[in-house]
Amino acid sequence: MSEVAGGPLLEARGVTVAFGGLVALSDVSLSVPPATIVGLMGPNGAGKTTLFGVMSGLLRPRTGTVSIDGHDVTRASPQARAKRGLARTFQRLELFGELTVREHLVVAHRARHRRLNLALDLLGLGARPGPGEDDRVDAVLSDLGLESVASRSAAALPLGTGRLVEVARAMASEPKVLLLDEPSSGLDTRETEQLGEALRRLHAGQGVSLLVVEHNVEFVLSLAQQVTVLDFGRVIAEGTPTEIRGNHAVQAAYLGVSA
Amino acid sequence: MWPYVIGGLVLAGVYSIATLGLILTYTSSRVFNFAHGAIAFFLAIFFHWLAVDHGWNPKLAGAFVVLVCAPLFGLFLWWALFRRLTHATSTIRLVSTIGLWVALPAIGRILFVGREEIFDRTGVGPTPAASWIRVAGTVIDSDEFLVLLVSVVVAVSMTVVLRYTPYGLQVRATVDSPRQAGISGINTNIVSAGSWMIGTTLAGAAGVLLAPLKGYQELNFTPLVLAMFAAAVIARFHSLVMGVVGCVLIGMTQSFIPSKWVRDDFLYRILPDQSQDVLISKLPDSVPFILLLIFLLCYRGLDRERFAVDTRAVASEAPPPTARDSDGWLRLRTPAILILIVLLAPVPLAGRWEAIIAKGLAVGIAFLSYTIVAGEGGMVSLCQVAFAGVGGAMTAQLATNDSWTWLPKVNGLLAIFLAALIVVPFGLLVALPSLRLGELYLAMATLAFAVLTQNLFFQSASINNFDGGVKVPRPEVFGIDFEGDTPFYYLLVVLFVLAAILVMNVKRSTTGLNLAATRSSEIATATLGISVVRNRLIAFGVSSFLAAFAGGLSVTYVGIALPAREFDALIGVVWLAIAVTWGVRSVAGALLAGLSFALFPQIFAEFEWFILVLFGLIMLGIRSNVRRVVVQRVALAAWAVFWLGAFLVWNGNLDEVPLIADSIREIPTTLFGLGAIGLAKEPRGIVYDVSHRSRARRAERAARRSADPPPGTTGSPGLDLTTPEAAQRAQDEREVMLP
Ligand SMILES: Nc1ncnc2c1ncn2[C@@H]1O[C@H](COP(=O)(O)OP(=O)(O)O)[C@@H](O)[C@H]1O
Ligand SMILES: [Mg+2]
Repeated sequence: MSEVAGGPLLEARGVTVAFGGLVALSDVSLSVPPATIVGLMGPNGAGKTTLFGVMSGLLRPRTGTVSIDGHDVTRASPQARAKRGLARTFQRLELFGELTVREHLVVAHRARHRRLNLALDLLGLGARPGPGEDDRVDAVLSDLGLESVASRSAAALPLGTGRLVEVARAMASEPKVLLLDEPSSGLDTRETEQLGEALRRLHAGQGVSLLVVEHNVEFVLSLAQQVTVLDFGRVIAEGTPTEIRGNHAVQAAYLGVSA
Repeated sequence: MWPYVIGGLVLAGVYSIATLGLILTYTSSRVFNFAHGAIAFFLAIFFHWLAVDHGWNPKLAGAFVVLVCAPLFGLFLWWALFRRLTHATSTIRLVSTIGLWVALPAIGRILFVGREEIFDRTGVGPTPAASWIRVAGTVIDSDEFLVLLVSVVVAVSMTVVLRYTPYGLQVRATVDSPRQAGISGINTNIVSAGSWMIGTTLAGAAGVLLAPLKGYQELNFTPLVLAMFAAAVIARFHSLVMGVVGCVLIGMTQSFIPSKWVRDDFLYRILPDQSQDVLISKLPDSVPFILLLIFLLCYRGLDRERFAVDTRAVASEAPPPTARDSDGWLRLRTPAILILIVLLAPVPLAGRWEAIIAKGLAVGIAFLSYTIVAGEGGMVSLCQVAFAGVGGAMTAQLATNDSWTWLPKVNGLLAIFLAALIVVPFGLLVALPSLRLGELYLAMATLAFAVLTQNLFFQSASINNFDGGVKVPRPEVFGIDFEGDTPFYYLLVVLFVLAAILVMNVKRSTTGLNLAATRSSEIATATLGISVVRNRLIAFGVSSFLAAFAGGLSVTYVGIALPAREFDALIGVVWLAIAVTWGVRSVAGALLAGLSFALFPQIFAEFEWFILVLFGLIMLGIRSNVRRVVVQRVALAAWAVFWLGAFLVWNGNLDEVPLIADSIREIPTTLFGLGAIGLAKEPRGIVYDVSHRSRARRAERAARRSADPPPGTTGSPGLDLTTPEAAQRAQDEREVMLP
């Protein structure tokens, strides 16, 4: 591992994003240490998804920097960031409608492990699974309970299953840090539990860091070791789940929207 | 000096009128209307039909066409086509209007032109044009004056309308954010219908003004089409000011080409001796696209725009509901049957028909290149025909070593292969600058490449050989002599199968998977670490190879390489329409496209009754495929009446029915254009449609037998992106993440 001892795996510093006149994020800093689960909370429109966009390279911030593993990636493409070990899921599902569930994971796995080989592709040998690919993909599928839908097309999946496929796809790309945008919305209680278990296993087994955006407050607070709360594009609280539970500003922000 | 300036301004005026309409419709609906010039042509010949064939007063006819018919026509097109496209996938959006571009002129000629071409130049003003005023010693005639006047009026009134009226405010709001505009209660439908009406009116005005200056053949409208496309790119599809600037640049440059300063002092010095005059005569048509490419390179730095613009489009993609591998053998069965038919065809059909089918096979390989670039890569390329032409030309040079003596002379088959390889870097070079900018820019860049190759390369003396072309010998390979037609025919069959296997391999490979992923969600693919651009480049490279290979085969079969005639840029547009009509997702589609491209014109020319058969088939198709009972009955009635009429009245002698006899040439083109337009409803083409239906029927039968619903067909609530409506709903629900 190349990471600087103690340095954060993923860090955003002083990020500001504006859409026209609307300031979606103002001077937001957030860091994800190695092998840590960080929760990101905040009411709707707080700017969580926007922050994910900035971190994964889909949006360029007006000011501020993003770094992975100590490398500045503020101007790097999404692809380059993925190569450095970042993966994410999308709040609004971004599934590959023409692929089966299993193929989603294959694509992700090969993105990490297979170098492009045009000659093999043209000769028809490019379809063969690489070494360890089948095992790894099957392991992720069973981890999230997706074996039964593995050969179904992603286009016709129920919403909850689609979410799990998003998570599975991100896991299959074997990231060092995984960004999850509302992974449990649309899941029933059993699925949520299974997802929580799978995420804990991923974290415990492979030391993957997670940054989880969640509406389900209990889910986050039980899963995360650190929590950051956003409201109107600003960080209003940071701390351990226990500290966050007792924080007045957070309660106000949440009561403000849910009332 | 002054005559050139005024000539340039007049050109710029016509171009601007059309371009402003084009940009307005694009900004308000995100549909780029490739048929804008075709609409201008259509309305112009309609005007001519009224004014000359029916003797209307030209001024009245002009006003009626431009101010009454054009807006209504725009409203109709919006209602019938454009309004469906705003939320279609970007490929469909492009291809449908390209279909209209192909079909509309043909329909226009069927309706308004008849047997003889139009040679007079009747316009709204006096004919012949009266000299009107003098500026700096130069006469401006009435037609030119009218152009200048109208263009100034249009430019001024557009500015005023967009700046100061509620409609303008709404258009600008829609431009900035269609979703926002939708939320804030602006009825985007009314705004976009209005824009299409204005856009069509401006197209009509440009057409009616241009025709008396240049003539009423479709050919005369090509410069207008090319100029306004280039100007639209220069305007980056939204800036009206830059659009006008582009038009002025183009018009002035074109006008100054024959001048002493440009031609004698500059062009004669730099161009090679033999081809000088031809090249200079083709230069005006190249100017727009040379400028386009220059601007494209300048805009390259804006690649960030790409994700920003495209996330919304991606969200509305409606992926086909089938898994890619579940129907493997079905995918193979249709092509296998077709290949068998093709294999046996020479037995009963020796001679001319065999030659035509052989042509179809060669072109079929070019259509396989669409399977890769459009079907797999999800890109709209308009320059496959240019690749084919360059492949053909290079094959001829390599195989004969006629004029480019520095090239090695190689065996015919090897020449085809090498020529195709030479084309690949050019293919990559065309795609690279525009891939990041988005589909529309790519379509434009490829069209530019096709037109420039056509005008500058194919016309040069060593390639064109004064319209004589270069002779290409048939090859001898492994001791087999392919001199004879039938051996070469079988060679073509084998090569088609090999090319098809190549295409299938790419589909199933990692690259194929990545491309399929990219088609559904570009951002998800990118965040997995997959280079979208690189995968698309591969697709583009492979497709340019296939197209060039097909070109080489085609010229070798014919024996003469004359790409200027055979691989004209506009033929490429028809190719695209044919390819997508049959479907770019399957090998069978490519084969059928190739065969029908070669066979249909011939069949229509020889057997007029084929039109009736086709009409009957279409009506029967409608009857059995459309659910609405009323439509079914009408179709059946039309079918019956048509046949009855055919037998009783015409007694089989269709030559005497003027409409049909005159329009036979136009019918294949019309059909293919309409087919491409039809994609707005069935995006996957005929082959998919038919095989999907039969599969559905089979599944239904199986289900009835086992009384168990087949897996996957039970309606599960939740994420359903299979219908456009559902995709639209999903898009509406989506939190817009990017600007
Ligand atoms: N593409 C966009 N254009 C305009 N405003 C946007 C865009 N994307 C997000 N926003 C706005 O930015 C704010 C933050 O949005 P988002 O990051 O999606 O919030 P969250 O994920 O916390 O619910 C919201 O007010 C939203 O409307
Ligand atoms: Mg969000």
